[in-house]
Amino acid sequence: MRPRWLNGFLFICVLMAAWEFAARAEWVNPLLVPPPSRVLEIFWGLIAAGQIPWQIVVSMKRAAIGYFLAAAVFIPLGIFMGLSERIRRLTEVVVEVLRPVPPPALIPLAMLFFGLEDGMKIFVIFFSCAWPILLNALDGVRQIDPVLLHTARTFHVSRAKSILQIVLPAAMPQILTGLRVSLPITLILVVISEMVGSTDGIGYFILDSQRRFKVAQMYAGMLALAILGYLLNQLFDLAYRRLLPWHWAMTKRTE
Amino acid sequence: MDGVKRFNWAGWLALGFLLCLWELGARATPRLQPYVPAISQVLAAFGPLLREGTILKHLAITLGRFLEGYLLAAGLGVVLGVVLGYFRTVHSFVETLIEFLRPMPSVAIIPVAILALGIGDAMIIAVTVYATLWPILINAIDGVRRIEKILIDTGRTFGLPRRRILWRIILPAASPYIVTGLRIGLSIALILVTTAEMIAGSKGLGFFILDEERSMNSAAMYGGIVVVAALGYFLNRLFLALEFRAMRWRRGMLVRESF
Repeated sequence: MRPRWLNGFLFICVLMAAWEFAARAEWVNPLLVPPPSRVLEIFWGLIAAGQIPWQIVVSMKRAAIGYFLAAAVFIPLGIFMGLSERIRRLTEVVVEVLRPVPPPALIPLAMLFFGLEDGMKIFVIFFSCAWPILLNALDGVRQIDPVLLHTARTFHVSRAKSILQIVLPAAMPQILTGLRVSLPITLILVVISEMVGSTDGIGYFILDSQRRFKVAQMYAGMLALAILGYLLNQLFDLAYRRLLPWHWAMTKRTE
Repeated sequence: MDGVKRFNWAGWLALGFLLCLWELGARATPRLQPYVPAISQVLAAFGPLLREGTILKHLAITLGRFLEGYLLAAGLGVVLGVVLGYFRTVHSFVETLIEFLRPMPSVAIIPVAILALGIGDAMIIAVTVYATLWPILINAIDGVRRIEKILIDTGRTFGLPRRRILWRIILPAASPYIVTGLRIGLSIALILVTTAEMIAGSKGLGFFILDEERSMNSAAMYGGIVVVAALGYFLNRLFLALEFRAMRWRRGMLVRESF
């Protein structure tokens, strides 16, 4: 039998050929839809000239700072909210009030404070990653079998030690789920914030290409973004397998 | 589960405390007031906006675009997802394409949409449909593919026509996944509508918020953010209420299983 990926590969080839042909035969306005061969040509050119890699580095720096900052603040907060009923009740309402704010609505607010600098994007990413990270960490901790914690207390394991050696590992799968969900959100928000207010970064690059009517360049930027998204996902899976080999093996078997 | 839900006094007090802190802090530092107006000033700016109907007008526009985009995406996503989940050969052809397009941040499509559709409602709705489609489509495919084959085979053995297999077996069995996709799509649709309005719009809440920021009218800007948040909150609540009713049969089943 033909392997499944071959079908998918063939389909993309046919699609590309049809697109190429339609663009060359000018069935579609070639100004709006350049042939893929031209997009690829421009793409390589921009890679070789270092323009696209540089824009991506600029964007990734913002994304990484916002993402890891959110992880550093909201994983511990989620754990404490999960462990202590008092902290949870105290923070619950504030979280529920802030959570439904769609992150792009905060871009103007962030612009007011940080102007068009990096801080604006980092703040927006930080805020939008906060909820999936926080709520998953909270959930993960609350689902821990209480017997584990009671056992630790019985053996007089110190609180700090039981958090590090029992709570954190037990909640890790859910914490990682939160981090995984936040990954595409980070990418979306960095692009949005660069489109709305920036002078560099891959989001700005794509919108700016459109405004200057450099359409092939715009598609090249989108191609770069798709590859970036794919690579980030792969990278995350790799880290996941390293951090939690047992859990990885478990979920693979049940699938 | 904690039996009866108690009113969370501590939580509301904490919120009130933070709001008071904001009010006092803003009043104490006049230098910061253009950025952080006091809560009372935000509320004061809210009154006229509400009375003149400005904010309601923008809200209605945003809501209209949201509904159009979301419902289109929901219909398209569920139908396509069921088809692709059921016919594995068809799915094998488009699988790679989906895997390639999915990781691209959906907002990157906005410039293409501006080129093709100009700036207007059509562009905003197209972008919303594109972005919202993904979670709905992928969950629907997943849901249908995870149905136990025995269920469908049993239906076939008893000579059920295809149409009834679809309505009585496939859709109910896949519905938990479909509902999940629809819920994720909800917040994505709202994000896309407001973003598109910011980048290329002359109406709607996204435009309103950005416009008030640009004219240094920060009290009105905060008002706009509150309205968007309220919109997101109520849409989510509405969805949960509908889900609660629609999926009642399933909850009964789960409870029975857990005994």
